[in-house]
Amino acid sequence: MGVLFLDIVTTAAILFTVASGLMIILGVMKLINFAHGAFLAIGGYAAFVTTQLGWNPWMAIPFAAVVGFVLGLVIERVIVRPLYARPLDAILATWGLGIVIGQVITIVFGREVQFVQSPLSGAIEFLGQSYSTYRLALVAIGAILALALIALLYFTRFGLNARAVIMNEDLARGLGIDSTRVRLTTFGLGAALASMAGALITPLISVDPNLGLPWLINSFMLVLVSGVSIPGLIVASLILGGAQVLVSSYVSAILGGLTIVVLAAVILRIRPQGLFSG
Amino acid sequence: MNDPGATLAISGLTSGYGEAIVIRGISLTVGAGEIVALLGKNGMGKSTLLRTVMGFLPAREGNVVIDGIDVTRDAPHRIARRSIAYTPQEQAIFQDLTVGDNLRLGQVESRWFAEELARICDVFPFLGERLEQRAGTLSGGEQKMLLIARALMARPRLMLVDEISEGLQPSIIERLARVLVAERERTGVAVLLVEQNVRFALEVADRWSVLKLGEIDDEGGSDMPNAASRIADHLSV
Repeated sequence: MGVLFLDIVTTAAILFTVASGLMIILGVMKLINFAHGAFLAIGGYAAFVTTQLGWNPWMAIPFAAVVGFVLGLVIERVIVRPLYARPLDAILATWGLGIVIGQVITIVFGREVQFVQSPLSGAIEFLGQSYSTYRLALVAIGAILALALIALLYFTRFGLNARAVIMNEDLARGLGIDSTRVRLTTFGLGAALASMAGALITPLISVDPNLGLPWLINSFMLVLVSGVSIPGLIVASLILGGAQVLVSSYVSAILGGLTIVVLAAVILRIRPQGLFSG
Repeated sequence: MNDPGATLAISGLTSGYGEAIVIRGISLTVGAGEIVALLGKNGMGKSTLLRTVMGFLPAREGNVVIDGIDVTRDAPHRIARRSIAYTPQEQAIFQDLTVGDNLRLGQVESRWFAEELARICDVFPFLGERLEQRAGTLSGGEQKMLLIARALMARPRLMLVDEISEGLQPSIIERLARVLVAERERTGVAVLLVEQNVRFALEVADRWSVLKLGEIDDEGGSDMPNAASRIADHLSV
């Protein structure tokens, strides 16, 4: 029972961490970033490079975040910004971008599966169970991340400006807010979060150019169910992640992989606006 | 017409939406510390003029000069940062944000937030008691006072006020009139007041212009003895 509980909490923390970047970009920019999976892969390879260079494995997290942020800024400026007036084309462009990033990674690093050194190995005793130290650390990291995002959105001027842009962009501009800059920063932040999440999950999974794809689909479902809010995403991660763990443990691992998508479809059928909206 | 010392100098301004031209060749100045009322019926182009001045709509012809600097092609946020406070007629406050956050957004960087907030709470004491309340829960009149309060937070050099009196009871209109006049006395702010309420406009403004079918049809000083009846004639036709 204890193991099951820890599995659910750690899975939820991982899902929250992975989906947060997608949610920030959707919330502020009304843009579904289909390159999210590719940014996860970039983070995974940033961790791989960290391992190859012989750096401390913890360095993978800031390194991935910086790489993701810089790439996000460049991509927003060059690809996303010219398409603001054409939202559907912007979504398609991020889809194409994801494919291009995947191909570039394949050219640079090859198609083969790589492994990354974990910052923490082994297991510790927790709640009377012997449990993976790294998965437990991810819960702490996920919690810090959630608090940091709430603080950024609700207790800083950037967060206030971003919320103003979300609610009424013209009114925000008329008050001196540079909405173009808010979008640029947001995309950079979303890409940094995705890339950091990629670095965080790679000690649990192997690294290959398409590592982000299954996570992209699950993240997308989680964000829709959350109603695009941080508390909503925490709850959605716990419910859908919990269901995934239960189905995987008691039914089959293959069905477990489909749980999030199927359950999300059912929830959205009942509550189309998501859990925490309206 | 184009006084180089004016806070706002609009000359030959033409703009509209798509193919439709809404305002044609409008020239208008507002001097430092001056309150100018722009009157006209619905659909005559009053709001379009303000949206063009703020850079939300591109000018087809003519230009907008603020404090001697041509801002005709500037983006709205750049124009707002020249200490211009624009209060639109509709969807002018963030309903889902708190009163405090709405006031905070009145300043681009919250630099003098505490100072200005204290002053605003003297002017509108009810706002100080409801800083944590969602702005959308205020009454219509309270929302208009919040709107003016937010504009004052910016320490504006120029206020562009779009039909603030619409739908308000006379006591609140009177209160807003006193605040605007007092603020002009205190800070020398220039105000372009777009209005349909002739009494309110003449009480507050030094000069008036009438906008009809996108053009300035008549103008004069508020001290003209027959100003009210002359404007009323224009608005009734």
